[in-house]
Amino acid sequence: MNIFQLIIDYASALVLPAILVGFPLYGMFKKVRVYEEFVEGAKEGFNVAVMIIPYLIAILFAIGMFRASGALDFLTDGLRPVLAFIRFPAEVIPMAIVRPLTGSGSAAIVLDMIGQYGEDSILVKMAATMFGSTETTFYVIAVYFGAVNIKKTRHAVPAGLIADVFAMLAAVYVVLWLFG
Amino acid sequence: MLNYIWGGLIVLSLIFALSSDINDFARDTYRNGTPLPVTVSFPNEYDSEARRQDVRVRLPADVYQAHFGLPQTVNLAWDGTLVQNEDGRELRFASGADLPEPLATLCARTGDEDCRGPTAGDPTLGSWTTAVAFRPVRWVKMDAIASAALDFAETAVTLALGLIGGLGLWMGLLKIAEASGMLHALVRVTQPLIRLLFPQVPRDHPALGMIVLNLSANMLGLGNAATPLGIKAMQELQTLNSNEDTATDPMVMLLAMNTASVQIVPPVLLVAIMGLQINQLFFSILITTSLSLIVAIVAAKTLGRLKRFRQS
Repeated sequence: MNIFQLIIDYASALVLPAILVGFPLYGMFKKVRVYEEFVEGAKEGFNVAVMIIPYLIAILFAIGMFRASGALDFLTDGLRPVLAFIRFPAEVIPMAIVRPLTGSGSAAIVLDMIGQYGEDSILVKMAATMFGSTETTFYVIAVYFGAVNIKKTRHAVPAGLIADVFAMLAAVYVVLWLFG
Repeated sequence: MLNYIWGGLIVLSLIFALSSDINDFARDTYRNGTPLPVTVSFPNEYDSEARRQDVRVRLPADVYQAHFGLPQTVNLAWDGTLVQNEDGRELRFASGADLPEPLATLCARTGDEDCRGPTAGDPTLGSWTTAVAFRPVRWVKMDAIASAALDFAETAVTLALGLIGGLGLWMGLLKIAEASGMLHALVRVTQPLIRLLFPQVPRDHPALGMIVLNLSANMLGLGNAATPLGIKAMQELQTLNSNEDTATDPMVMLLAMNTASVQIVPPVLLVAIMGLQINQLFFSILITTSLSLIVAIVAAKTLGRLKRFRQS
């Protein structure tokens, strides 16, 4: 039995309906004009989505170009000798680079690696741990800051990237420690 | 910082694409102008009158190797069509997904779904050795980055528009939660803990409640709910911001915590990809994500004090 599938099934089967029903129900109990309030709030959804479009275009087109340029191969080759020094396997370098840039791209890499090395391999475990323990940093930045029109992001990018670099290294060593 | 990274991504793509194309140029990767030698046989005997006829196209490994100068061990063969008219003969053959590079790119550039190119010489009855002249291939990567830029710009719009429904639903529900006092209750219960990380947010401020909801949705792996909740938290934090286009410390903290992703349940996508194997990864993901969360918090706190990043 897949424990996580079970948790996800229960979470989406229980938590979400509980909120969807619970919030309006509690509102009604508190004599709130629930319908009017809901519509008032939901109005914002459209504006926010439209507001983040320019930010998303800016981020995604740069990332798209970067991926299409073959830069990944160059970077993998360039980093290989440096990372070999610290026992970081070359096979997971593409995953470590792509993970903060795109979610779908990194999912494709995991799938690719499963085909190449098998689900049980330690390399796939590393890549999947990288995928599961971090987020698509640049997408999150574009959406969250775009929604409130923040252009000067200050130390958000370096903080996010430092955490990402750390997570990529940690994923390798934690998997080596647990399964190696 | 984002200015440099963004500009860097674009400039780097140009440099990498250009150097890759120039490398192709120098190595003549695609053997532009030199027709690819192939052997053609006719299953139903050659008919000099027929405009189109079925053929079998063969490309032995050693010929491939000699032509492109790349190692190749598999003999290639395809079913194809020979088209002939007054202007000459053209050979077409199915370009399957398993073509080796650079032949795959050559074929992809010939137009339709099949590989095609004019051939010279006269067909003979048994097996005919000829050559296919493909359209010259240049600037592969430069074309690729240009079309990727357009594709991804469109993807950005699709993604953003796809968020409208979820955003509307959650923002509507949150408005009810605010009006009914639920959010306030949540803030009161959780603020001793959450204000340790967000000391600049005043006591009893609704932003704290949104932050708590956003982080909990993340932990439960409810990605679809986490984004609207995070956006709402950002909006609440923006009301405290005196400088509209600049991020505040609490905003950076929230963002850092979200990018480090506090996940106890892995993302749905990963569960789908890994199947049962994901169970083994529970601890490796939990340990890694917790460690990186701590690093993100420390980084957000300390970098914010640097002169470079200080709020003016």
